[in-house]
Amino acid sequence: MSGDYKFDTLSLHAGHVPDPVHGSRAVPIHQTTSYVFQDSEHAAALYNMELGGHLYTRISNPTVAVLEQRVAALDGGVAATATASGMAATATALMTICSSGDHIVASSRMYGANINLLENTFPRFGINTSFVAPDDLDAIKAAIQPNTKVVFGEVIGNPGLDVMDVASVAGITAEAGIPLMLDCTFNTPWLMQPITFGANLIIHSLTKWMGGHGVAIGGAVVDGGNFNWGQNDKFPTIAGPHYAMNGINFHEEFGPAAFTAKFRAEGMYNFGPSLSPTNAFHILQGIETLPLRMQKHMDNTAVLLEFLCGHDAVAWVRHPTLTDHPSHELVKKMLPRGAGSIIAFGLKGGRDAGKAFIESVDLASHLANVGDAKTLVIHPASTTHSHISADAMKEGGLSEDMIRLSVGLEDVSDIIADFEQGFKAAARTIKA
Amino acid sequence: MKHVLHGEEIHIATGGRDFDPDGDVLVLLHGSGQNHLTWILQGRYLAHRGFSVLAPDFPAHGLSQGSPLDTIEAQASWVIGLLDSLDVAKATLVGHSQGVLVALEAAASYPDKVKSLVLIAGAMAIPVNDHLVSMSDTALSKAIGMMTSWGHGPDAHMYDNSMPGHSFLGYGKQIMQMNNRAALLADLNACNAYKNGEVAATSIAIPALCILAKKDKMTPLKFGKAMANAIKGAEVTVIEGAGHFLPGETPIAVNKALCGFLQR
Repeated sequence: MSGDYKFDTLSLHAGHVPDPVHGSRAVPIHQTTSYVFQDSEHAAALYNMELGGHLYTRISNPTVAVLEQRVAALDGGVAATATASGMAATATALMTICSSGDHIVASSRMYGANINLLENTFPRFGINTSFVAPDDLDAIKAAIQPNTKVVFGEVIGNPGLDVMDVASVAGITAEAGIPLMLDCTFNTPWLMQPITFGANLIIHSLTKWMGGHGVAIGGAVVDGGNFNWGQNDKFPTIAGPHYAMNGINFHEEFGPAAFTAKFRAEGMYNFGPSLSPTNAFHILQGIETLPLRMQKHMDNTAVLLEFLCGHDAVAWVRHPTLTDHPSHELVKKMLPRGAGSIIAFGLKGGRDAGKAFIESVDLASHLANVGDAKTLVIHPASTTHSHISADAMKEGGLSEDMIRLSVGLEDVSDIIADFEQGFKAAARTIKA
Repeated sequence: MKHVLHGEEIHIATGGRDFDPDGDVLVLLHGSGQNHLTWILQGRYLAHRGFSVLAPDFPAHGLSQGSPLDTIEAQASWVIGLLDSLDVAKATLVGHSQGVLVALEAAASYPDKVKSLVLIAGAMAIPVNDHLVSMSDTALSKAIGMMTSWGHGPDAHMYDNSMPGHSFLGYGKQIMQMNNRAALLADLNACNAYKNGEVAATSIAIPALCILAKKDKMTPLKFGKAMANAIKGAEVTVIEGAGHFLPGETPIAVNKALCGFLQR
């Protein structure tokens, strides 16, 4: 070949060559818990991280590894580790970096479970978080303390659609000597590869657009390999002698993949957030068509934005590509292919009208997912963010009347027709 | 481990075990713009199989301080100085790429210090394209991208990795980005300038193994075979499917060849 393979090719092929025994062209599902060692020396070599390979599916698996290698290739990282869900990736990644007494700076406008993990769960283990607006660079900088070990945010916030200026925040974290970890579920590597903007760790809920068909839960953390864990004394369990394997120093032994080495050796080993091989296979099938699907998602989103913005029943519409979005200019540079296929909007008539709309649409499905091939709608205040306090909702820019729309791949005229009849149902609540 | 040589702090990977100068010492010598992480799947493996491993970062590479050494002769002298400073009487030199030139020169110039040679993806001369040399000065990231791409074989370009989840191309680029930005240019100029390879190879009278890659675009197989032919009694192992960065691409085959030779 004359160069590196391009994105569309990697989506189909990366991580896999046909197996030499059977020649399977598709990625085989290695539905096994464990692997026969060649001999006791081989077993010892795998346990001691002298060689790569599989020893137990809680730690790694050949089918899952193909998925990991594909995601690493698409994001331009040095490695990726797949997990049972996006939340498993987030929680395990943060626990790979942080210990009791450490501090995190995080976006106040994230997915409810991300907020809940940081606000309610981690403090029980002595890890506290300061929440700041993701578009307030001064606030992010000011919130970093001597014991801050990571800044965490979402490129496109869920569901408020706030956008983080990745290059600027990466500059702040680089100066502070700490990594920038981003949940990139809403952008996928097709829209943006944040590692090239200076981000260090990428989280995906593979359940969403990457898998894209609503059939398998999964997650991944991609290691950019572009953070020097030994530049200061903030990360003693990565760049110092670790309790496992005779005091291994992951930074010295694995260099740019130090985070991944620790994530797998400690996170996968001790916490066990493994992805099943069958789910990895389903997600791989989805990734094969990621470029095609993302293009159609963006095309349908553009048409629906025009429809919603011009409709009398709609009170407001939020999407990062709209000119009234505060990050509109940033988005043009950072996300030139589009800013995702989530649209937030409110109906005239508020919460009751929204409820009537969601209950009356036929084609769009009312459920707690995004990034499916099918169009989805939900009311965040009563569902995904119902456990978030009223103050946190307000801080997160979420209103009671917000409807979150995940634009699917149907013929867009059918989605519009479905919404028209939903709006009529909503209008009846106003008249009543 | 950290060590001070010629007043500069250098980093030496020892495979996760304490270094024993009285053991069977192997010195793993990295190539142009690389560092000790070339040997990520050899260092620990060999250190846990009875060898005393030294995988140093040359000055300005990896985690070592200092300025890059600008000739192969200076690098060979540096390696011998390292052995002396650690009270090592004699060692096997294992070189990759530019490290092969260093190993050849050291074995020829300091025969009393070298027990045997393993030469991986090397040749007696490694001329470097002028454009690449220029880019390593003015467009380092592009030069790194080009070397990483050319250096890896077809399976690596498909991201088929024995280390689950790892990317050859991503990891290869970041290894090179770790170095002092002057390191690659100095290395490529040193390779270009070195003309003593054939004389050195024909003078060698110690056991030698050449591990060569069939898909090597940077030191093509025919030049590796010519090197093997020039070294009296040299053994040759050719690994199918691998590119120039075979220590990472095909570690099991490389380690099998290494141990087969070293454990005799």
